[in-house]
Amino acid sequence: MIKNNPFNWIMLFLASLVLLFILAPLAGMFLHTGGAEFMETVNDKEVQESIWLTLWVAFAATFIFAIGSVPLAWLLARKNFPLKKIVQGIIDLPVVLPHTAAGLAVLGFISRDGFLGKAADAVGLTLINNPAGIALAMAFVSVPFLINSARDGFAAVPERLEKAALTLGASRPRVFFTVSLPIAWRSIMTGFVMMFARGMSEFGAVVIVAYHPMIAPVLIYERFSSFGLNYARPASVLFILVALTVFILLRLIPVRKKETQILPDAEA
Amino acid sequence: MLRLENINKKLGNFRLSDIDLDIPEGGYFVLLGRSGSGKTQMLELIAGLNEPDSGKIWVDNEDVTKKKIQDRNIGLVFQDYAIFPNMTVYGNIAYSLHCRKLEKKEIQTRVKKMSEELNIESLLNRFTNNLSGGELQRVALARTLITSPKVLLLDEPLASIDASLKDDIRRIFRQLNRKGLTIVHVTHDYREAVSLAKSVGVIHNGHIIQVGPPAEVFRKPVNKFVARYSGIRNFFRVKFFRDNGAWKAQSDGSLTFVMKDDSYPREGLMIIRGDAIRIHSSEPLNPPVNCFKGRVTEIFPSEYGMEITVDAGERFYVDLSAENFKLLHINELSEVWITFPPEAGIALQGTG
Repeated sequence: MIKNNPFNWIMLFLASLVLLFILAPLAGMFLHTGGAEFMETVNDKEVQESIWLTLWVAFAATFIFAIGSVPLAWLLARKNFPLKKIVQGIIDLPVVLPHTAAGLAVLGFISRDGFLGKAADAVGLTLINNPAGIALAMAFVSVPFLINSARDGFAAVPERLEKAALTLGASRPRVFFTVSLPIAWRSIMTGFVMMFARGMSEFGAVVIVAYHPMIAPVLIYERFSSFGLNYARPASVLFILVALTVFILLRLIPVRKKETQILPDAEA
Repeated sequence: MLRLENINKKLGNFRLSDIDLDIPEGGYFVLLGRSGSGKTQMLELIAGLNEPDSGKIWVDNEDVTKKKIQDRNIGLVFQDYAIFPNMTVYGNIAYSLHCRKLEKKEIQTRVKKMSEELNIESLLNRFTNNLSGGELQRVALARTLITSPKVLLLDEPLASIDASLKDDIRRIFRQLNRKGLTIVHVTHDYREAVSLAKSVGVIHNGHIIQVGPPAEVFRKPVNKFVARYSGIRNFFRVKFFRDNGAWKAQSDGSLTFVMKDDSYPREGLMIIRGDAIRIHSSEPLNPPVNCFKGRVTEIFPSEYGMEITVDAGERFYVDLSAENFKLLHINELSEVWITFPPEAGIALQGTG
């Protein structure tokens, strides 16, 4: 309960302004969308396919990149190696790049002249204008969220727990899978959801790599630029509702029912 | 049984140097040292979590210096227990048996037996975040003992336990040792050594400065650091001299103490245990050789009764039982006489 004093009221007022700034545009968009046009959008096959494409490609990108990102996060949290700080900086780079620039970088990499593009071409796959290319663009800009969150999770696992497991006869992989990973799981899942969310909402990088097939953000932009705000709005509302539902479902995944208390490493 | 031979290990700015130890089968060795003195690092070397830069570690006449942690069969109970928070008590105790890929039935039987021995069978299905310090310590012990280790290493095992539960845990350690388990116990608290150790070592800045039976280490500390560690608080800078056939020590505060016959350096420190000094509320009729008049400046309750500070030209810290204190009828500013026998004074070379 917030106590009734001037300082708390000032803090509450400033906080409310920010909340209002986030909620007002969204509320306005919902209020300006009529029921009939919304239902028409819900039944629009193009919109349905676009949202489905966005969801599964973002999920696939997150899932596939998690396989390498979790070990990378563990290495960053547990090991010291030359140029570690530079590696950390490289990981954060996609977050600070303009997303169109990120898209251009990915395009160069996956086009037929690029390293990955050539390799894909050799097996008869074209990455540009393909869900695989979209997944790569999404992953490029969103994977730092997963790596950083998982790294913080592993760093918070007290090393003495891992040492205790070793003295009890566990092999290094067993220590990782039975102690480090389960304890860091909550942070990994948070990073997973953040990466998925960021990938799903990506526009700038994806639109450069693949205008078609259209993911939802590209479809909304296309409808806005071709037909105006009123036509783009119902699709936006639908996408927001679907995204919210997915996030709520992901947050409901039981990380562990019980709150675990983790003490910091004891002083040597 | 457990032998450390000239162990050296550099860890950042810290160095463990020239560690030599020999602990017999069934020994209970307590290593005393301050936080950061190298106690935990030494245990980690023995357990195999770190490898020494030089030197050898022997267990049962086998050189285990290069042996993998998992194959050493040395149990280590960590400070703050290092209980896995993602597992139940059962999961924690069964962990090592799962690592050894035992049958499920066998694991259940062994966990049940071990939990009964440590009186924690009612906790088996609980997660560990609501357990008390004493319960966590029992879980940590059960988890380690179920591996049937050759040597049990205990890192500050009583540091996080309520005073009321310490006796129970100490009893468990004694029982384990009585059954023949070799124990190495590191602590900063000399009272743990007094109550448990068969032999004691004092470590300072990564170097073991004295090893021996507790009585010897605490009665004859080799320097001021060890003396402090053994709970001594009376330190007097003195000059030793011989007078009328007896050795005496003259303090900076101009008190002259009579010492027992021995050989002494020209100057150094004279130390006296607080429990070796007696307080009298009136002048003794036949005063012993070391009898000084003073005034009580402070009276504090202490773990073992009362701690009285007496200013008699030098400041004396005297430990009294609560009963003896009551009989004296003294309070702060009371005039008192303190006495101690010549053999209570221990001489140390140097003043550091």
